[in-house]
Amino acid sequence: MSKNIGIYICSGCEIGKALDFDKLCQLASSAQNVTVCKSHKSLCSVEGFDTINNDIKNESIEKLIIAACSPRAKTEVFDFPENILLERTNLREQIAWCMEPGEEDTQMAAEDYLRMSITKVNNINIPTPFIAENISSDILVVGGGITGITAAIEAAKAGYNVHIIEKEERLGGWLNKLHKQIPYVAPYNKSIDPEIEDKIKELEQFENIKIHTSTSIQNISGQPGQFHITLLNGKAETIIVGSIVTATGWQPYDANKLAHLGYGKPNVLTNVEFEEYVKNNPSRDLPKNILFIQCAGSRDKDHLPYCSGFCCGTSLKQATYIRELSPESNVFIVYKDIRTLGLYEEFYKEVQKDDQIFFTKGEIEEITEKSGNLKVQVKDTLIGEDISLSVDMIILATGMVPNSTLDLNLNYRLGKGLPELKYNFSDSHFICFPYETRRTGIYAAGSLRAPMDIAASKSDATGAMLKAIQTIEATKRGEAVHPRSGDKSYPELYMDRCTDCKRCTEECPFGAYDENEKGTPIQNPTRCRRCGICVGSCPERVISFADYSINSISAMIKSVHVPDEFEEKPRILVFVCENDAYPAMDMAGQKGLKYSPYVRVIPVRCIGSVNKVWISDALSQGFDGILQIGCKPGDDYQCHFIHGSELTETRGENIQETLETMMLEPERMRTEFVEITDYDKIPQIINDYVEEIQLIGPNPFKDM
Amino acid sequence: MINISPDIKFKKQLKQVSKSSLNECMQCGTCSVVCSLAPEDRPFPRKEMIWAGWGMKDKLIGNPDIWLCHQCGDCTSYCPRGVNPSDVIAAVREITYQHYAKPKFLGKILNNPKWLPVAILIPTVIISAILFTAGTLQIPEGPVNYSKFFPHAWLNSSFTFLWILSIGLGIVGLRNFWNDMKRQNEEFESKGNFIQNLFMILKEITLHSNFSTCTAQKTRKIAHLLVFYGFIMLLVVTAFAIYAALTHNYPLGLAHPVKIAGNVAGAMLFTGLGIMIANRIFDKKNFGNSTYTDWLFLISMLLLTISGVIVEAARFLNWGIAYHLYFFHLICVWFIIIYLPYTKFGHLLYRVVAMVFAVSINRKVKA
Repeated sequence: MSKNIGIYICSGCEIGKALDFDKLCQLASSAQNVTVCKSHKSLCSVEGFDTINNDIKNESIEKLIIAACSPRAKTEVFDFPENILLERTNLREQIAWCMEPGEEDTQMAAEDYLRMSITKVNNINIPTPFIAENISSDILVVGGGITGITAAIEAAKAGYNVHIIEKEERLGGWLNKLHKQIPYVAPYNKSIDPEIEDKIKELEQFENIKIHTSTSIQNISGQPGQFHITLLNGKAETIIVGSIVTATGWQPYDANKLAHLGYGKPNVLTNVEFEEYVKNNPSRDLPKNILFIQCAGSRDKDHLPYCSGFCCGTSLKQATYIRELSPESNVFIVYKDIRTLGLYEEFYKEVQKDDQIFFTKGEIEEITEKSGNLKVQVKDTLIGEDISLSVDMIILATGMVPNSTLDLNLNYRLGKGLPELKYNFSDSHFICFPYETRRTGIYAAGSLRAPMDIAASKSDATGAMLKAIQTIEATKRGEAVHPRSGDKSYPELYMDRCTDCKRCTEECPFGAYDENEKGTPIQNPTRCRRCGICVGSCPERVISFADYSINSISAMIKSVHVPDEFEEKPRILVFVCENDAYPAMDMAGQKGLKYSPYVRVIPVRCIGSVNKVWISDALSQGFDGILQIGCKPGDDYQCHFIHGSELTETRGENIQETLETMMLEPERMRTEFVEITDYDKIPQIINDYVEEIQLIGPNPFKDM
Repeated sequence: MINISPDIKFKKQLKQVSKSSLNECMQCGTCSVVCSLAPEDRPFPRKEMIWAGWGMKDKLIGNPDIWLCHQCGDCTSYCPRGVNPSDVIAAVREITYQHYAKPKFLGKILNNPKWLPVAILIPTVIISAILFTAGTLQIPEGPVNYSKFFPHAWLNSSFTFLWILSIGLGIVGLRNFWNDMKRQNEEFESKGNFIQNLFMILKEITLHSNFSTCTAQKTRKIAHLLVFYGFIMLLVVTAFAIYAALTHNYPLGLAHPVKIAGNVAGAMLFTGLGIMIANRIFDKKNFGNSTYTDWLFLISMLLLTISGVIVEAARFLNWGIAYHLYFFHLICVWFIIIYLPYTKFGHLLYRVVAMVFAVSINRKVKA
């Protein structure tokens, strides 16, 4: 512990009015390994920054504590060389702006925060990045449909070598079966000829794209930078790639389940079957009256509850070519809502102009068939009464079902395929992180990820490929990818104490750990997103990061001065997730919302990274209650690490049972979840809990 | 439950006559909300717009609501998609004349400018034939005396006959119209007989109060009242003239009350028609799209009025071309009378019948 610590305390932004600076400096100066302690009225000014920078040079400062604003603020100013360990003590948002200025309790909070920061820097190190050997910059694209082709072309243009594999003999996927395409360029008013031939030709021009048709995947092992892929095309062949974009697409919803919409009766086809019929039958004998039923099995709780987004456009397109091929035909379109998103509305308006295409909202009541004629009864129509349509053909606009990802054959402890979210799509996070799957380095694009049409698939392919490229480049630097982009730390395991309990291998949301036959975890560091959920999972406390360890947090907890006399000053330890909950607390401060000065906040990488030992450390230290504030779990979750919040809930129940066996009230531990926008609820969450703890009374372990 | 079988020909005709895009109607219902006449229950013209878009001819033709509309144009002014509901409704009325026309070809030739020469030729030939039969098809000698050219007996009997023929053929169409309305509205119980129900609407017809609800077209009510009463007065005057020709010394002097009434009626007609024509020419925004059928009716009425005045003057002034003018005036008269059920003049019949039907199923306009 010979590191030179420099502490800089800012009195700007009302921090100076709230706190006694002499006392803070006195405390800091007398702490372990501190060489410099200065206060300044505005550390983020040029003058303030120069003071710090000069000390780094002249006083050989190696660890830096800036006690000022939130670590989320002014990051562009407080940007120091990589060999300087930087700690930011949040005196502004979480003390000066949310607690009463000049009060003794506020001062005590500030002193504790400073102690925690000093203890932290004394117990952590600058991480040395894990840089894998023989990192490949090649990229694998799985699936040769429009998404895969677009992704491959984008990567090739950016200078990366690409392998694109397709299980069929020919590239092109669904687009090979199209007679026409929905217009996706201005003026959006006319169906266009399929573009797939041109796309395949464009792809074939790139020398850095290797095309593998009639090929499947036998096995994928390894990690970003070093995926070992065994391809099977008659014989097995192994390639090594840095990252993967998977675009294995969709299947139409099984129309056999749509007997109530007439499927199974003669002349009742799905949109896909009709498209193929027109494509493959040059005579194209189309009947006089044709009915489209939109949302056939879509937006229907008994079938697909979601909208596939492409069926309305497809029916409009098919209606236009029916009318071109057979000018006598009448086309009826019965819909729930016509959903032509964005500029597709222009196409809808154009189709509406046709005098023999009839649109009505409606619900299909009954379909009967008599010698080839289909009688369809529709209720809730725009006509104002129930109608009966007599038609010769029905086309069911069926939706998309994603293909299984099991044929990726991932050799992962957590399974062969990609984890699925809502409606079985392999998405990761609906709100913030498109393309991310829960398998780092593997990105889903196109209708495998979410239902979408051709134009959306192409932009999706571009986005996913960008992610794949980012992964390779980040892996080369030994850095984490989203959401802790640039983090150079990685979990280090003290294997001597590991009991092969498999908690870490099971709970890692990203499948970063594999197992040997005994159940001992095998690390794949470049798969890791650095969330620390494994840190929280390990009962033996063998997992830590260089700058975020069991010991560093324990030491911080122990550095807090807990007053002896409870009656005056209870203490609540608050673990707050850095991702959404911590910014919500900062926002509460920014809005000037006040809350109790009895709380001591420790930010954590994910609320799922809180280890049980920290709870017992806090209780032995004399804290009267422990509050965990995580990000909101659930299907449309906010948790950046997928199920950190849910794990906390289950773990929390276990901890409460433990509290009871220790003869402590289970209420001494509480978990709350907030969204990032819930800043206004922060004071109530904190104050209610402080009040409850005051009612329960002091922690009996205090002073023991 | 209604069987859908779009009449594409009808839809195309509607689009052509109304100059509306029809399909762009998004069924928002703004038209029905702003309409000051639409009944609370099943208001128009929203439902008519989708029937039009779906080519549902039976629904539209057998629909009394089409005739409850006074085409004030409020719906067209407020329509967010610019689909001109009021012109669509007017087009349905126009097509109705043709649909119920007996004989069919008259409906056709009177609504297509291509056939205008034939339409003019028919009364010309009939009049010439009558004069030829009467043996007076030549310019008489002496001071102007129209009865020398067209003997009163011939004139009055053929005039009366044509009126009866015209109304008779009209009634055949109206019967079919009535039955169609009944079929389309069978769920509604009908009450009262035709005469009772006709009596119920007399007040509206005489006072034109529904016209007052039009905000966009202020001068319409007065114009229509002038034409309406002007025409009725002329009918009465003519009937008296027929009577007078038999009992009095004909022609009547200028100071005779009937003569005065005739001249006043002519002036009313002229003024009313003048306002109507001016509105259609100078205020297209509020008066919408004027079709051939609109113009044919207005211009033939105007020519009738003007030629009538000139013919009267020619008699007093003893003009040499008086008989030629008289011949022209007669063509105008006969044109209007024999074509009554097939031109826009037919609204006199269809609107009254539709209004009576509406009363019989207890359908009341808001105003």
